[in-house]
Amino acid sequence: MSAVWRTARAAVARRRVQTLLIGLVVLCCTATAVLALGLLDAATTPFDRAFEHQRGAHVVASFDAAKANPAALARTAARPGVQAAAGPFGQVVADFPRTTDIPEAEGPLTIAGRAGPGGPVDRVSVLYGRWARAPGEIVLNLPAADGPRRPQALGARLTAPGLPPLTVVGLASSMSRSADAWVTPAQMAALRPRAVQMLYRFEEAATGPELRAAMAALSDGLPAGALASAATHLALRQAFADLAAAYLPLLTVFGVLALLVAVLIVAGVVSGAVVSGLRHIGVLKALGFTPGQVVAVYLTMVSVPAAIGAALGAAAGAALAGPVLRAAFQGVDAGVAEIGFGGWVPGVCLAGMPLLVAAAALVPALRARRLSAAAAISAGSAPRPGRGLRVQRALGGARLPRPVSLGLGLPFARPGRTAMTMAAIVVGLTSVTLTTGLGVTMAAFAAADRPPAGQVGVRVGEAAFGENAPRLDDRRIEALLRSLPGVRQVTAKVFRQVRLAGQARRGDINFQRGDTSPLAAQVVQGRWFDGPGQIVAPPAFLSQRGLAVGDRITLLLNGRRAEARIVGRLMSGDARFAWASWDTLTALDPRASADTYEVRLAAGVDPRRYADAVRAADPGLHPSFSLETGTTAATVVGVAGVFTALLIAVAALGVFNTVLLTTRERRRELGVLKSIGMTPRQVTVMTVTSVAAQGAAGALIAIPAGMLAHRLIVDNVGIVEFPDAMKDVFQPSHLVALALAGVVIAVLGALAPACSAARLTVAAVLHAE
Amino acid sequence: MSEAEKSGQVLVDLAGVRKEYGQAVALDGVTLQIRAGEAAAVMGPSGCGKSTLLNMIAGLDRPTAGTVTVAGHDLGRLGESALALFRRRHIGMIFQFFNLIDDLPALDNVALAAQLTGTPARTARARALDLLGELGVAGRKDAYPATLSGGQRQRVGVARALMNRPALLLADEPTGALDSRSGEQVMDLLIDLNQIGQTLLIVTHDLELATRCAGRLIEFADGQVVGQGAAGAGR
Repeated sequence: MSAVWRTARAAVARRRVQTLLIGLVVLCCTATAVLALGLLDAATTPFDRAFEHQRGAHVVASFDAAKANPAALARTAARPGVQAAAGPFGQVVADFPRTTDIPEAEGPLTIAGRAGPGGPVDRVSVLYGRWARAPGEIVLNLPAADGPRRPQALGARLTAPGLPPLTVVGLASSMSRSADAWVTPAQMAALRPRAVQMLYRFEEAATGPELRAAMAALSDGLPAGALASAATHLALRQAFADLAAAYLPLLTVFGVLALLVAVLIVAGVVSGAVVSGLRHIGVLKALGFTPGQVVAVYLTMVSVPAAIGAALGAAAGAALAGPVLRAAFQGVDAGVAEIGFGGWVPGVCLAGMPLLVAAAALVPALRARRLSAAAAISAGSAPRPGRGLRVQRALGGARLPRPVSLGLGLPFARPGRTAMTMAAIVVGLTSVTLTTGLGVTMAAFAAADRPPAGQVGVRVGEAAFGENAPRLDDRRIEALLRSLPGVRQVTAKVFRQVRLAGQARRGDINFQRGDTSPLAAQVVQGRWFDGPGQIVAPPAFLSQRGLAVGDRITLLLNGRRAEARIVGRLMSGDARFAWASWDTLTALDPRASADTYEVRLAAGVDPRRYADAVRAADPGLHPSFSLETGTTAATVVGVAGVFTALLIAVAALGVFNTVLLTTRERRRELGVLKSIGMTPRQVTVMTVTSVAAQGAAGALIAIPAGMLAHRLIVDNVGIVEFPDAMKDVFQPSHLVALALAGVVIAVLGALAPACSAARLTVAAVLHAE
Repeated sequence: MSEAEKSGQVLVDLAGVRKEYGQAVALDGVTLQIRAGEAAAVMGPSGCGKSTLLNMIAGLDRPTAGTVTVAGHDLGRLGESALALFRRRHIGMIFQFFNLIDDLPALDNVALAAQLTGTPARTARARALDLLGELGVAGRKDAYPATLSGGQRQRVGVARALMNRPALLLADEPTGALDSRSGEQVMDLLIDLNQIGQTLLIVTHDLELATRCAGRLIEFADGQVVGQGAAGAGR
């Protein structure tokens, strides 16, 4: 083996640029693969890990205390299929007005009475302070444990109508989200709970039907209607991965694409290395190397830089994944789950990429194995018959500077090499087209979930929450909001829970009047409502009720009924919600009034100033707005950008490699051309022209291919049906930029070898040949 | 006799030229002059520095010390681009292994030299065809180098070297890769060219070639001129 190792080491040292290229390509590809697999893994694994650590509840069940007594509920723990149970815990819901700077202590909170954080199910992690020990103490649940540290919240006093003052003694986190806060059982008893909570873990809990069956079996012996609600871990898991899940299928495409590109480019680079080394192979055989040793030399030669590249790439990918994951999971209620991916991700990439490279090298190396020494030597150095006669003749007579026409003819003279370069360009540019398209689609989708910049929500104050009620009535409030300076549009809204005739599930309908909501742009089937009796709903709302666009339904509220027709389906949304016009509500509740107003301001108007004006006009109105400009969109664009940049780098390296090999092969020819008077500038022009032409031709194939792939993916992958506006992302200027990108990728890849070719010393080249 | 030869002006002037490749000395203080219209042959054993001398005169390589002046240009003072322009205007090179461009047919190989100077394709091809005709290979104008015989390839190479009407024709072992019959034909061709006034510098091992084609023999050994004398043959 020492001869093989020495020869391979010498070849690595002699072919520094090629070795560096293989290393760089593998580095970029490994980093991309780590990032892609890391995102896939991180979408679910951290939740599962933390959930299992706390022995999270598969179902958090709420029972009507009037119908199910505690003893009967405790016996449910022994039912078949129940692995473990905790409870019963008394449970109340209390509305806390804002009295502190603790967001977790505002609004309606579900409070459970528990003696401690432990138990067989839902072992709550106490992050700050301690568990409640006496009446008057409360522990708050932190949905995101990795948020800002807030020990100062300890000691805060919370008040709510009908409740004694409660002092915050601890901040904890439950992956089961079993409650928003906990008090002692004694305190709970004093609050006279009307609901009782039970926490269950089941033997079979992987799917919705399994959980429904388990709950059905469990409530069999209980009085009818005793089970008020049941929240499953599947919903929590889904909520955790929700942000990532929306993009996960698309990110998976990125990852798979990156791996494909990696395989193609690495195979191209390695094949090129072997093909360009044919003469070397012939010499090795002539020296007495066995075919097996020749294969070993070439595999070693490419595996050394591949192993180093994979190691550096895995480290770079892991380093890059940290901030990308933090951004991707920003705003997710992660509880105590640590966002990250398993060690197997870099491990698999670290081992897999060198294997991939070795496999790619094996095919051409085996070809070299079969060649006789003489054939290998002559394949590497004999003059070749000319190719592309007609094209060469036509170009020779064209009115173009000769270096340009020579460069244009070059791809036809080397069809094999041209195919390799074109493959690198086409794969790279298809990826760039696809990834930029997906990036734009995902960014538009992410942006649709957020209120647009310059939008102010105005809520009507409620006396029940200790707020001032507005002085003005509904219609006057709308008129006031429209009259203030800087307003573009106002939509008045109210949510009403209505029954749907023949349906078990109720629906929360958002009734609107005034200007059309921006949500109208998210209709993917049908249209937005434009009159009474029309409803627009998200896919989940429709599918869970067996409805479709065009169906007629009857809405029931307060003993009144209204006929309605589903006229549009939205891109996405919660299964509870649907949208309808105010006229529809009037039929159900003639005296209904809006409780929220969505105000869209003209460009450049400061929402702060508008909010101040609203408060000044009527202190009973509570405006709110966000100055954030869509972190989700920025995250998605950022992630897509990282992948795109890595893919461009890999494609450019692939092109660089083929141009380098071509330049090496043509050293003698370049020496001859220089000897008859070709200037260095002309050599550069010729070399760059040859590759730029291939870049332009590659763009003609790659851009439509990328667009087609984008359309196929956005139409068929993922849980979201995108509206046309989010799918038609390729504008003419975008396409021109992509075509230029093809040429730029090719030219960037070619520039360095072209300049090196221009610097060739003619005497040395011709002497060596 | 050509006007150039009548004037007898110095076309190539090497003064104390030294060329080192690392520790190895390829040329060691060479001083040499070649006049316009002259045919000179440089002879010597392998590795004595003949080809290095030719490369210096062609502007393909630069001396470590000394000056190389060709057609009034001090080549040591010219940059890469200026050297390329110098070669276009003043130098024609004939190589032992022809060095034709594999991917271009014979006609375009020849026309290429003129096209690089900006000569329109039609004009360049017309002149290339004339030259191929004069050298007896016009019938193979569309053939690729790989399909030509050695003699035919060298004729195409000579035509390419003559394309821009160079002041100096440099030939590096022009018959070295040819069979004897083709070698004879190329020798006759070089003699004919010199007789119409073409200045010629041949580097060769072949004494017959040197004596038949050149008027002066320059003996080279260990990077130095060790002897000069009239060859006389062929004149």
